Amino acid sequence: MSTKGTHIPDWLKVPFAGITPAPSQEKGQDLFPTGNWRAIRPVYRDKLPPCNNACGTNEKIQGYLDLVKRGKYLDAYALIKEDMPFPSVTGRVCYHPCEQACNRGQYDEAISIRAVERFLGDLGQALPRDVVKAGPSNGKKVAVVGSGPAGHSAAYQLARLGYGITIFEKSPKAGGLNRGGIPDWVLPQHVLDREIERLIEIGVTIKTNTEVGKDVTWADLKNNYDACVLAVGLIEPNSARAEGENKKGVFYGLPFLRDIGMGTSKVKLGPRVAVIGGGNTAIDCAREALRQGAQEVTMITVEANTAEMPAMAEDLHDMVEEGVELLHGRAMTAVLGNGQVEALQLYPARFAGAINASPITIDREAPAQRFAVDNVIIAVGQRASLGWLPDEFKTPRGSIKIDQFGRLGATNFFAAGDVVQLGSGQPLMVVNAVGDGKRVAFNLDKVLRGEQLQPRTIAIDVIMDLNRMNMTYFPHFPRVKQSMLEPAERRSTQEEVIQAFSEEQAVEEAYRCFSCGTCNACDNCYLVCPEPCIVRSGRSNGLYKILVDYCKGCRVCIEECPTGCLEGVPELDFDTGVVRMDTAFAITPGLHGRQAAELEALAGRPAKDIENWR
Amino acid sequence: MSYTELTVWTRGIIMDKEGRDIVNSVAAAARLEGKFAQAMENYVDNPDRTNAPTRKYCRVSDGQIENALTYENEHPNIVVLVEETMVKGWDYMRGMAPGGTLVINTHYSPEYMLRFVPGPERLSQLVCVGAAKLADHKWLYYRLGELGLDRLSTEGAAERSKAIAPDIAAPIIAAIVKTTGIVKLQTIEPMIANKAAFKAALDELHILTLNPVAA
Repeated sequence: MSTKGTHIPDWLKVPFAGITPAPSQEKGQDLFPTGNWRAIRPVYRDKLPPCNNACGTNEKIQGYLDLVKRGKYLDAYALIKEDMPFPSVTGRVCYHPCEQACNRGQYDEAISIRAVERFLGDLGQALPRDVVKAGPSNGKKVAVVGSGPAGHSAAYQLARLGYGITIFEKSPKAGGLNRGGIPDWVLPQHVLDREIERLIEIGVTIKTNTEVGKDVTWADLKNNYDACVLAVGLIEPNSARAEGENKKGVFYGLPFLRDIGMGTSKVKLGPRVAVIGGGNTAIDCAREALRQGAQEVTMITVEANTAEMPAMAEDLHDMVEEGVELLHGRAMTAVLGNGQVEALQLYPARFAGAINASPITIDREAPAQRFAVDNVIIAVGQRASLGWLPDEFKTPRGSIKIDQFGRLGATNFFAAGDVVQLGSGQPLMVVNAVGDGKRVAFNLDKVLRGEQLQPRTIAIDVIMDLNRMNMTYFPHFPRVKQSMLEPAERRSTQEEVIQAFSEEQAVEEAYRCFSCGTCNACDNCYLVCPEPCIVRSGRSNGLYKILVDYCKGCRVCIEECPTGCLEGVPELDFDTGVVRMDTAFAITPGLHGRQAAELEALAGRPAKDIENWR
Repeated sequence: MSYTELTVWTRGIIMDKEGRDIVNSVAAAARLEGKFAQAMENYVDNPDRTNAPTRKYCRVSDGQIENALTYENEHPNIVVLVEETMVKGWDYMRGMAPGGTLVINTHYSPEYMLRFVPGPERLSQLVCVGAAKLADHKWLYYRLGELGLDRLSTEGAAERSKAIAPDIAAPIIAAIVKTTGIVKLQTIEPMIANKAAFKAALDELHILTLNPVAA
């Protein structure tokens, strides 16, 4: 009961049974520390959004989308650069596991994270100076073998930690698979060149035309450097094990793309081209073949349908749109022709096991099919070339033997990227290689500083689930589509197929982010709290505080938190927050008893004294 | 004349009936045994607010209780906390004479709870009973907030009001009666609606013996 508007004599203005100042009156709140009504305490605890978890290099995706939303593009770019050295590259080529994991995908459509990343990457490319600087030098030298995604990432992170980095690259141009495995119409050369420049700007030395095992030996690496990261990748193409593969007009997928990428290609394709294989490289080869002048391109796969192909569905869709034919359930057993490819011999086939890497069963009983072509491109996987590596570090499947930290035994050699991930179950993709390079760089740093290595673990319960969020606050909103060139136009040009987001589009898309499990300073808790229990010194994550003396634990803020970053923790789990009150409304011990004594004494007083009691 | 005082601390609305059931059933059982008993609620507290602290009182005596006008127990011998978090918030130990009993409804251990108890030297035993789990009370155990919403609605209210201790009160009553002997178990058991939880609680008490008082 409030005393507002009532004349109360002074002697009754103590916290008294039922007569107490309202919280809005002076010192009213001090008399109402309702904190001990609470059984559950709301706690701000940021969880891991599923996109960050799914990303091969654990980019802070929610973080940069939130910054883009607020127009802080430079901050967003700097945040990406913590985990990803080249957002302009992955913004174009990434297979975006983040978008597959996006909680919004279960609600309407996933956020176009890759397009926003590309927007930020291009913004970074346009900057006269990068936001990242080399760390203060610690005088240690590290060699990195290979300048592909993993090598680039490891060199970048180590340079930021203050190491002197030398990269050895076998090819005449740095970039590794980014340059040699990805066609121009996905990733233009000038974008990659600029990212390599950025790497050189932070003090990394790149020695091109330097091959490990030939120009640099194992002993050189061991003796001249404090540590070494081997990110040599898979550079040798697998054979299709067909007869007559040595005939003229037979190309292998990766060298075919690499020569075009390096500008050293002398390939002239005939009008009819067949591509053997059903993976991402095969798709790139088929689409590149169209751009190199082929009229009819057919992709021949052992997989019985498109769903089984180990390729990105959207690339497959774009390829079919461009006019590539698909021929499923066939294996090439021979390349026919007199010195020059004339036709392929095909038999019905299927994989013997459940996965695409299992042996192929060819049905030789069935009649052979003669498939007339002018050229054939074989893209059935790659393997490593590890002649220079000591035998003790080789695995039976042709990769480098490492422990869980990417280290080779007890040496100061580390390995990262496709060369260690081959057969590990992890997709051999750019972003996974970048993440591998990053983690290995941090492990290497720990080893050189003599620290204990810790396995990387994420508790499964902290990855935010859609069911733990409040969907009331998120209206359905369609995904912003990236515009694309017309299929007919694409076939004859090396122009980029997928177009960039404008600033407005990027902001619009960033606004669709749920910010799963992470406070994005929406002020909702601040507004819905029925008591003035939530304070903030600024509208930002980490600046909201709960006044535990007054919070009654009504859970309104927890239920209404859109992102689910607020959670209720049993009050008994905290040792703090003990307030001893005498009764519900008296804060000092024995207050009622004291009042009782005063009230008893009142009876003996003359009436006129009561008004002037004090 | 001395008598045994039982004070129950509970939460407004969501556990108000639990507290009431405890004092009423103990007083009724005492009268059946030929004792004199009083049971009442506190007028000072406002029980009609969710989670607000509320007290219920019970007095049991072998002779006539002359104190019929004061409703607060000044010197409780038995204190019951129907909701575990109350252990942090209130001076529920005030006025307790040495040799008292504290009963808490919690799944935490008595050793853990003891750190929050003010003046534990006055206790002869600290009893923890996981009543929410024993009564299989899913709301209380998992989603306390929904219990409040349930109590505000009128659906099934008549049935709930008629039954004595249909829910978490049953194991708490079992804990009080078994550890203090304020009334006999066989007198009070027929009144209890949730007999399964009452019986289960008799074997599931966590009792921490402290400062034994010489008889």
